Amino acid sequence: MQTSSLFSSLWKYLLSFVLIASITAILFIWRDGLDTTLIALLYLIPLGTITAQFGLGPGITSAVITFFTFNYFFIEPYSTFTVHRPVDVVILVVFLIVAVVISQLVGRAQAGLSAATAREHEATQLYELSTSLAGLPNDHAIAQILAKQVHAVAQGEYVELNITGTRSFVYQLPGITHPTRLPELTVPIEAARGVLGEIRLWRSEPPISSRERRLFQTFASQSALALERAWLAQAEARAKVLEESDKLKTAILSSVSHELRTPLSTIKAAASSLRSKEVSWDSPARVDLVAAIDDEADHLNMLVGNLLDMSRIESGALKPKREWNILPEIVGSVLARMKRLAVEHRLEVEVPESLPLVPVDYVQMEQVFTNLVSNSLKYAPADTVVCIRAWQEADCIHVQVSNQGPQVPTEDLERIFDKFYRITDAERVTGTGLGLSICKGIIEAHSGRIWAENVSDGLAFNFTLPLTRDGASPPQLPVDMETE
Amino acid sequence: MSNAPHILVIDDEPQILRAMRTILTEKQFKVTTANRGEEGLTLAAANEPDLIILDLGLPDMDGVEVCTRLREWTQTPIIILSVRDSERDKVAALDQGADDYLTKPFGIEELLARVRVALRHSARTGSTQSKLVKAGALTIDLAWHVVKRAEEEVKLTGTEYKLLAYLAANHGRVLTHQSILTNVWGAADADHTEYLRVYMRQLRKKLEADPERPQHILTEPGIGYRFIADE
Repeated sequence: MQTSSLFSSLWKYLLSFVLIASITAILFIWRDGLDTTLIALLYLIPLGTITAQFGLGPGITSAVITFFTFNYFFIEPYSTFTVHRPVDVVILVVFLIVAVVISQLVGRAQAGLSAATAREHEATQLYELSTSLAGLPNDHAIAQILAKQVHAVAQGEYVELNITGTRSFVYQLPGITHPTRLPELTVPIEAARGVLGEIRLWRSEPPISSRERRLFQTFASQSALALERAWLAQAEARAKVLEESDKLKTAILSSVSHELRTPLSTIKAAASSLRSKEVSWDSPARVDLVAAIDDEADHLNMLVGNLLDMSRIESGALKPKREWNILPEIVGSVLARMKRLAVEHRLEVEVPESLPLVPVDYVQMEQVFTNLVSNSLKYAPADTVVCIRAWQEADCIHVQVSNQGPQVPTEDLERIFDKFYRITDAERVTGTGLGLSICKGIIEAHSGRIWAENVSDGLAFNFTLPLTRDGASPPQLPVDMETE
Repeated sequence: MSNAPHILVIDDEPQILRAMRTILTEKQFKVTTANRGEEGLTLAAANEPDLIILDLGLPDMDGVEVCTRLREWTQTPIIILSVRDSERDKVAALDQGADDYLTKPFGIEELLARVRVALRHSARTGSTQSKLVKAGALTIDLAWHVVKRAEEEVKLTGTEYKLLAYLAANHGRVLTHQSILTNVWGAADADHTEYLRVYMRQLRKKLEADPERPQHILTEPGIGYRFIADE
């Protein structure tokens, strides 16, 4: 950088001298026909041009040189620096004064012009920065834009932004390793609330001017405003989410307390009538009451279990213990347990033995099947078929639980996996409204996908399970060498 | 009543202690209760109970640790109590030497069945084990390595027999995946639960009347397996 600027200013001086020399040569040819005062006037033309084109330095230097060439070549006696006629002395002195004054005036105008251009340039850069920062929603995007602008404007080697807000981070351009030396320029990003970060710029050549320093300070304060705005917007969004979740919690509480109270009422009624003398020890009603207590206690336990599962899914604490399992075994054990509930429906199972082992959490997968089947049993009318099918696709197992129950409006097909979402009136069907959202939580924790679709005669739940665990395919079992 | 089996119950919930005391005393057991882990350890040393029922969620120390410390000096059977969803703790306690587990809330039949199995196994420890295990139509002769179903011999592969023999010898008790794998396949294969899944399925197909609804080889989800034989 420095050598080239030195070279360009040398070049300016050189050109100035060439110009002075050529004018001098031209005037020298017609020296005899020209008046001294005219020559002095003619000399002012290149002087003005030089100052206007090359700046004050070459202008003043040329003025001084011209003063000597004028004296040497055009004032008698020629080829000496002596002056005989008093009028020539006056001309020379006037010439020198006029030349220097012109040079200074033109030079100052020129400097003013270039300063104005620089200011305009700065204003443009600032405008570009503030328009690109406007409306940026997050601090990372702001840091990226700021770093790019600083890098482009400074033409520096390296720019680093240290943002020290609520979530501090570093943004660097280009690459991620900065030079080992200290940065040449450090500008704090300050806002009303304090320092939000720092711009660090590495540029050894040319040294950073005070004008650039000022510009980057303005950049920093612009970005500080943008950062504060983004953080405020984020805080507002968080507040909104909290408000929403608060509303949801209230809904959960009312739904849950209703659901919990139902079995509790049964238990309380049965237990208190057993305690009273109303029911004699050998009355057949006693057996019913005891059975009701037992069943409702189980129901209560299931409800609490669902709530716990949901809260674990929400907090991300649901970590499946994925092991290689046999899908038909899981389905079989779930159906064996649900047989009692499924007396009014026909269960059909098409889960072939030939399926590969699937990497799933046995307990959680049992729960998925339990919830999907019990949902089907709850909504589908009696004497209809609930069908469980599974087949292998390219790199996953596809499972479908379908029933001949009522269809779901297309726009609600996704929402049925939301918490507490019910299509029917809550009074008609019991449950926490959590079953399907728990399924979704479990399947997604297994990196699978779950969805519902309307089929010709009812509703089908589908889910997929990837066949690889940590990148490994289903294992081949060791052959049982010793037979019988 | 002096020879009634003595049960120590360690649980921090007074309602559970009350219920256990009522039920077990009714069933002619002698019952002692403790509501802290340290207290339980002291009582176990002082009274030498025949069975310990231990809750995993104690306020002063980890139930698994109580289990470990008991096993340092006694082989008294331990049944652990825990809430649902703590499979990891249950497995840890079982692998630390606990004999069985019950998930709260549990039914009284379940509790008594576990107590009976645990007391029977401790009575047999060291003495001659029964060499013939009967389970419904199945007869497993552990001395002669013969398995019969309805008087007809069932052909099993070597590994299948080893697995069945281990289950049958410990009938009534829960066996964790790890303990089965270590005993049947060896410590190097202790993580290969898929072996278990596959071999158990084969065994059920050969031995159970309805392999989908097994009566003898039961899966304890997330924990292991249990073999149910005739009492």
